[in-house]
Amino acid sequence: MHEVGVALGLLEGVQTTVIDRDVERVCTVNVRLGALSGVVRDALLFSWDVVTKETICEGSELRIEEVPLVVYCERCGTQRAPAPGTGLVCPQCRSVSSNIVRGREMELVSVEVPA
Amino acid sequence: MKMRVLEIAGNLRAKNEALASRLRERFAKSGTLVVNVLSSPGSGKTTLLVHTLSRFVSRYRTAALVGDQATDNDAQRLARSGAPVHQITTAAECRLDADMITKALAEWPQDELDVLFIENVGNLICPAEYDLGEDLRVVLFSVTEGEDKPLKYPLAFNTAHVILITKCDIADAVEFDRDEATESIRSVNPEAAVIELSARTGDGLAGWFALLEERVAEKQRLDRTEYLSTVTQ
Repeated sequence: MHEVGVALGLLEGVQTTVIDRDVERVCTVNVRLGALSGVVRDALLFSWDVVTKETICEGSELRIEEVPLVVYCERCGTQRAPAPGTGLVCPQCRSVSSNIVRGREMELVSVEVPA
Repeated sequence: MKMRVLEIAGNLRAKNEALASRLRERFAKSGTLVVNVLSSPGSGKTTLLVHTLSRFVSRYRTAALVGDQATDNDAQRLARSGAPVHQITTAAECRLDADMITKALAEWPQDELDVLFIENVGNLICPAEYDLGEDLRVVLFSVTEGEDKPLKYPLAFNTAHVILITKCDIADAVEFDRDEATESIRSVNPEAAVIELSARTGDGLAGWFALLEERVAEKQRLDRTEYLSTVTQ
């Protein structure tokens, strides 16, 4: 369900981008999704196929770049990648960081269209 | 085939964030404390809010918005407290968003409120992504749900200001491990206030009410223009 909403948001973003730019069809849509976004890749791909029916994006490929979680660990003074399922705990020193550097992305990056 | 690439710097949350910050300004002007309540289905949001509204309705100008995918059962339960309650039926959507709140307030205008409670749709994934312009994000999880719930839904728990462990009257019966739960909470959120309570027996409710009352007073004390300058930073 979440993914349908995300797919509709993506579609709207693409439509806004291509409008008035002489685009007949969209071949590829590139997006970036953070580990914390809670979006299930397969469900999003499925939703994309459904919501793009009879739109400029019908038949397009949705290319998802998954961004792993990275926090800034204050004790180590550097960025760390917590293991999945361990929250925001630094894998080195075990302290908890509330400073999320990457992993919350839900971004539309670019669209590829015939030249 | 030759391709051309159209770059987009599109944050999917941008639209909601813009609407949420408009709501936040509006609530700052009216001095309304807004409390967004999130949890899985069945953690006890409605029961907690029935008790909370019953207490608040005689002390403050209090109202509640309730999001559900279907039925207005929760809205009816909350309305028994005597507080004005408005239902938002979200149908296919699994969460409330700032647009739904804006529209609901347009068709259900409330005079300046002291507190607005928003009961979100029962779900810990989608609602976590949507700012509703709230001051306080409250996440519930009951002792029956497993101590590692915060680790499974890190974003919801990470963005919470208050975490309520509910149904504590049956904690022993379900062998709830408080230390493990605390550790999971702290692994995703070192700062949130954590309160254990049971809406059924009333244990722990005093702490929850006190926290809310303090925040209502704080919100009203703040000079509103000053508040505005802090929220727009």
